[in-house]
Amino acid sequence: MWRLLHVIAIAALIGSAAYVYSVKYQTIYASEQIVKTRHQIAKERDAINLLRAEFAHLTRPDRLQALADAQLDMQPLALNQIVKADDLPDQAPKVDSIGRKLESLGLLGDSATPSSGVTGATPAVR
Amino acid sequence: MNETPGPEADEIAAHRVAATRVGPITRLGGLARLLFSARLDKSAGRIRFIALAMAVAYLGIGVKLISLGVSHDPPQTLKVAADQAVSGARPDLLDRNGEILATDVKTMSVFAEPRRIIDKDEAVELITAVLPDVDAKELRERLSSKKGFVWVKRQVTAKEQQEIFHLGLPGVGFLPENKRVYPNGPIGAHVIGFVDTDNIGIAGMEKYLDQQSLTDPHVPGFVLDPTALKPVRLSLDLKATHALRDELVAGLARFKAKAAAGAILDVTTGEVIALESLPDFDPNDPGDFIKDPTRINRLNVGVYEMGSTFKALSLAMALDSGKVTLNSRIDARDSLRYGHFTIHDFHATHRVLTVPEVFTHSSNIGAARMALMVGVEGHQAFLRKMGQLDRLRTELPESAEPLVPKHWGELNTMTIAFGQGLNVAPLQAMMAVAALVNGGEMMTPTFLPRSEADALAASRRVISPQTSESMRYLMRSNATHGSAGFANVPGYYVGGKTGTADKIVNGRYSQDRVFTTFMAVAPADKPKYLYLVMYDEPQGLPEDGGYHTAAYNSGRVTGKLITRVEPLEGVPPADHFPDQPFPMLARLGLGGDADRIGKE
Repeated sequence: MWRLLHVIAIAALIGSAAYVYSVKYQTIYASEQIVKTRHQIAKERDAINLLRAEFAHLTRPDRLQALADAQLDMQPLALNQIVKADDLPDQAPKVDSIGRKLESLGLLGDSATPSSGVTGATPAVR
Repeated sequence: MNETPGPEADEIAAHRVAATRVGPITRLGGLARLLFSARLDKSAGRIRFIALAMAVAYLGIGVKLISLGVSHDPPQTLKVAADQAVSGARPDLLDRNGEILATDVKTMSVFAEPRRIIDKDEAVELITAVLPDVDAKELRERLSSKKGFVWVKRQVTAKEQQEIFHLGLPGVGFLPENKRVYPNGPIGAHVIGFVDTDNIGIAGMEKYLDQQSLTDPHVPGFVLDPTALKPVRLSLDLKATHALRDELVAGLARFKAKAAAGAILDVTTGEVIALESLPDFDPNDPGDFIKDPTRINRLNVGVYEMGSTFKALSLAMALDSGKVTLNSRIDARDSLRYGHFTIHDFHATHRVLTVPEVFTHSSNIGAARMALMVGVEGHQAFLRKMGQLDRLRTELPESAEPLVPKHWGELNTMTIAFGQGLNVAPLQAMMAVAALVNGGEMMTPTFLPRSEADALAASRRVISPQTSESMRYLMRSNATHGSAGFANVPGYYVGGKTGTADKIVNGRYSQDRVFTTFMAVAPADKPKYLYLVMYDEPQGLPEDGGYHTAAYNSGRVTGKLITRVEPLEGVPPADHFPDQPFPMLARLGLGGDADRIGKE
C-alpha cells in the first residue's frame, strides 16, 4: 500500500518536473520568437520607410512632368476644359447596340438564352 | 642510561626552540597550530580571529555594493560612445496634403575601436583600398587616437559594407544610422532647409524643429526609433511649389534674368502655400550653400526696394487716413520738384488724375503727393504698423532687417511712397499687401498649418474694411485697364500690381538693370491667394518691344502661375463675374468700372 503511494508520488514528481521543464523551454522559445519577430517588424518598417521615400522620389512632380512631356501626347490643362457638373449635357439614353444588331439580323426571336432582364448583364433598351 | 623524554620534556624543547630562533616560519607555525589544534583552551582566540576575518570580508562586499550602486559610469563604453555618435531620428516633414518632403532612411556606417585594432597601418591600407574617398592620413590619425570609438565613414553603400565586412578586420564594425533624404530635391528647399551628417538641422524648417526641441537627436533613449516621432506637417503645397518653381525656371531662362523668386500666400490664414527662390540648391547635397550669397532665400533674407508695388501701401495709407477718397483728384501735370530732386512719372500723363488713375498709371508724382498729405510722421507710423520697418520673424531661422533711412525727411517719404529708399524683405511686403486685401487683418506669415479662426485670433486690424475693399477694387481695375493685364486670367477675377525698381549701380539708379515684382490677388472680390513673382535683372524680349518692365516678365509668369495653381488648389474658374464684388463701394456709387476691360 505505502509502496504504491510512494511510486505514485515519485511518478507525479517526475511528471511535474518534466512538465515544468517543457513549459520553461516553450517560454524561452516563444520569447526568442518574439524578439525575432520584433527585429523582423523593425526591419520591415525600415524597408517600408525606404520604399515610401523611393516612391516619393520617383513620383516627385518635376520627374513626372518630364516623363509626361516626353512620353504622353497631351497638353497642359486649359482652364476652359474645367466645367461644373451641372453644365455637363444630360446623359444619352442607353442603347443596347448588340440587341439592335441582332434585331436587324432577325435573330431576336425566342432563343434558349434567358432574356437580358433576368441576367441583368446588359440592360434592355429604356 | 637513556632518558626517555616525557611530554614535559618535549614541551620544554619546543619552548627552547621558540626562545632560540623566533623566525617568521616559527610564528606561522604557531598560528597554524592555534587554528588547527583541537585544544579547547585555545579556541577563544580562534573564534575571535575567524569572526574578525568574516567582518572584514562582509565589510569589503558592502563597500563594493555601495560603490556599484552610487557610481554613474556605465560599464559598456562602446555602446554609449556609439549611442552618442549615431545620428538621431528626426520626424518626417510632410506638405499640407501629406506628401513627404523629408524623411529618414536607415543606412550603415563604419566605425572602429582603435584599441582593438592590431595592425593600424594594415587596417588603414585595406580600408582606403575599399573606400577610396577616405583620406588615408586622416584615418591613420583617427585610428591612433586613444578613443574607444571613431567613425571610419558615415553612410556607406551596401556594396561598400560587404567589402569592408570581407576584410575581416578586428575592431571594425557597422552601426545603423538615420540618413535624412529629401525625395523632391530642390523643390521647396529654401523652406525645408537641410541637416548635417549628424542629422542636426542647419537651415530652414529643419533648424526650426531643433530649436523647438521637437527633436533632440542626442538624448539617450530617444535616439533611433523614428516611429516614436510624429511627422510634422508644413503649410507648403508640394504641387503648387513645383508649379511655382517650374514657371520661375522657365521665366529665368526666357528673360535671361540673374535670379528669380516667388511665393503664394493664403491671405485668409497667413499660410505660405509655396515659396521658391532661384538659384536654389538640393538639400540632399547642399554643398557650400551656406557660403554662397547668390543662393540665399531672396524672400526673407534679401531686402529690396519693392518699387511700384509699394504704391499700394501709400494709397491705402492715404485712403485710410481719410485725407483722400476714391473720388479725389491729384495733380500730376508737372514733375514734382523738391530741392535738387525732380520726381517724374514713368508713364507720364501730364494731367490731373483720379486716385484710381494714380494706381493704374502707377504715377510716382501722385503717390508722393498723397504721402505728403499724410506727412512724414504719419507715414512712418503707418509703415511701422504694417510691419515694414522691423525685422519680420517667421518660423524660418533666417531673416533680414529692413534698410530704413537714418534721417527720414519729406524727400524720403516722397520716394518711399513709390517704393524707393526703403529696402524690405519681399515676404514682409507680401504680409502687408495681404492685410490690405483680406479686410485689414495683419497676419504674420507662417510655414505651419493654421486655421482661419486661429489666424484671426492672432491678427490685428491695421486698416478699415472699407479701405481694404478700395484696395481690392484698385488692384482689380489695374488688371482690367492697368499694367496687370497679363495676369488677368479669365475666370479668377484677378487683381494685381506691377513694380519695376531701377537697381542702384555705382550709386545711381540704372535704367537698364531693373528689379521687377508682381503681386496678384485672386479672386479680387474675396481674396484667397496672394501671388508674388520677382525677377532680378530680366532682359527685354524683341517680341515685347524690348520692354523689361514688370508686366512683361513677372506679370506674365504670374498669369501662368495662377492658371496652373488655382485648379490645383481646387478652385474652378468662374464663368461669370461676381454680382457685386465691392458692396461697400457700390453703396457710395463707386467701383462699377472694375470689370470694364480696355484702356481709355
